[in-house]
Amino acid sequence: MSDSPPPEHTPSTAAVVQIRDLHFSHGERVIFDGIDLDIAPGGVTAIMGPSGTGKTTLLKLIGGQLRPAAGSIRVYDENVPLLNRQALYRLRKRMGMLFQSGALLTDISVFENVAYPIREHTRLPGELIRDLVLMKLQAVGLRGAAQLMPAELSGGMARRVALARAIALDPSMVLYDEPFTGQDPISMGILVKLIRELNDALGLTSIVVSHDVRETAAIADYVYLLSNGRVVDHGPPDALWESSSEWSQQFLEGRPDGPVAFHYPAVSFRDDLLRGDRAS
Amino acid sequence: MLDALQGLGRATLTFFERLGRGHLLLAQILMNVPGLLLRPGLVIAQLYSVGVLTLVITLVSGMFVGMVLGLQGYNTLVDFGAEESLGVVVALSLVRELGPVVAALLFAGRAGSALTAEIGLMKATEQLSGMEMMAVDPVERVLAPRFLAAFLSMPLLAALFSAVGIYGGYLVGVGLLGVDDGAFWGQMQSAVDLNDDIYNGVIKSIVFGFVAGWIALFEGYDAIPTAEGVSRATTRTVVHTALAVLGLDFVLTALMFGD
Repeated sequence: MSDSPPPEHTPSTAAVVQIRDLHFSHGERVIFDGIDLDIAPGGVTAIMGPSGTGKTTLLKLIGGQLRPAAGSIRVYDENVPLLNRQALYRLRKRMGMLFQSGALLTDISVFENVAYPIREHTRLPGELIRDLVLMKLQAVGLRGAAQLMPAELSGGMARRVALARAIALDPSMVLYDEPFTGQDPISMGILVKLIRELNDALGLTSIVVSHDVRETAAIADYVYLLSNGRVVDHGPPDALWESSSEWSQQFLEGRPDGPVAFHYPAVSFRDDLLRGDRAS
Repeated sequence: MLDALQGLGRATLTFFERLGRGHLLLAQILMNVPGLLLRPGLVIAQLYSVGVLTLVITLVSGMFVGMVLGLQGYNTLVDFGAEESLGVVVALSLVRELGPVVAALLFAGRAGSALTAEIGLMKATEQLSGMEMMAVDPVERVLAPRFLAAFLSMPLLAALFSAVGIYGGYLVGVGLLGVDDGAFWGQMQSAVDLNDDIYNGVIKSIVFGFVAGWIALFEGYDAIPTAEGVSRATTRTVVHTALAVLGLDFVLTALMFGD
């Protein structure tokens, strides 16, 4: 584990995702201010941080849906921001992504949703597609729901269908955007188990973006903590719990006050109360 | 004063920025249209939801517009003893102007707004992003088939609007007010020209279909992905399409019929 603030990286040839000096802004708001990050192959890497730190944005940058202002994002040795559409789509076929909302196509059934990427990218016969879809649905425990429409699914089921769709083309990497948000304990437990087991069984590289500390730390091999546009800490989960960084301790233990102050910056309370002008 | 100027500048920039985005999207859509020949199923499905589902409102409106034209036309013509020209008045009004224009306005209200809402909601629920991450181009799979369907449906809807409208005028003029049957159809046949009237009407409806489809799809694709954003985009589709159709109608009419 490195010391915070922002860790230094040495280029790693083994990393499947290698991010260097990444800068990205939304209008005037700086989201990433020079982050470095490596994702090792074959493991589950968690990217955690408070809401609004740009975790989802980072996934979109890795997937080439957004372009950085500066810096490089190399995925499987390809510099994502420089890829043309064709090359980007070729790369995306090696990635699956689980969206926070599931992002299922609402006008087709569960079966058709999972079959969709297979139909789009292969010319396999219908029988084989059927078998493949049923295998993927069996893996997430929803073979029996194949004929349901997305509107008939619970939130947890929708995310499992989306997971089946994300692995439909047998990708080598899966990106998970807040997979546990808004899930009941049973659904959460199922998703935690699925992410770890699918990663190991299919030999995937998984990147899990989340702020659910315990669930994510339970399955992650390596964790990056982001805040204020920087990587504030990183390392294996066990080591992070022992981190000397006050910020890390506040985030991991969910303390209401600390380096991230409970109060939004303001003039002193006394001055505010005594001020004649109360218009603000 | 400075604030007003700043606001005007910002609004102008936003307008041209959106106009640029709209044209880029149109170029992308048009580039993907030829590829649809290989996947006719995508277009046929959209022809149903964009065209067939707009039929009822188009036919009913066409009938009423034709009946009103018959009634108003008769009341005016009868003063000059020219009521036998009612067929000409009804047919020319519908084929040249009302057919393409009113059908396009109805199309914007029924199909255009539905297209914008559908695309906007697909964006808000990350379905379009999901397709992109599956290496499926949403412009190719979602927008281009809808655009082609709008483009093909509009002239057919306008033609049906005019046909039903003429029949509505016939029902009122001949059936109700006693205009001579033979004169109604005969004068219409001799006065309505295939090139000057019918083809020009068809050209208008093709242009309107192109514009209505483009505006509806762009507004949906460019919508802010929230409930309010989609609602505003849907409203903009109807307003902008109506203005574009009426403005273009004047320009096209001036080009076609102005000497």
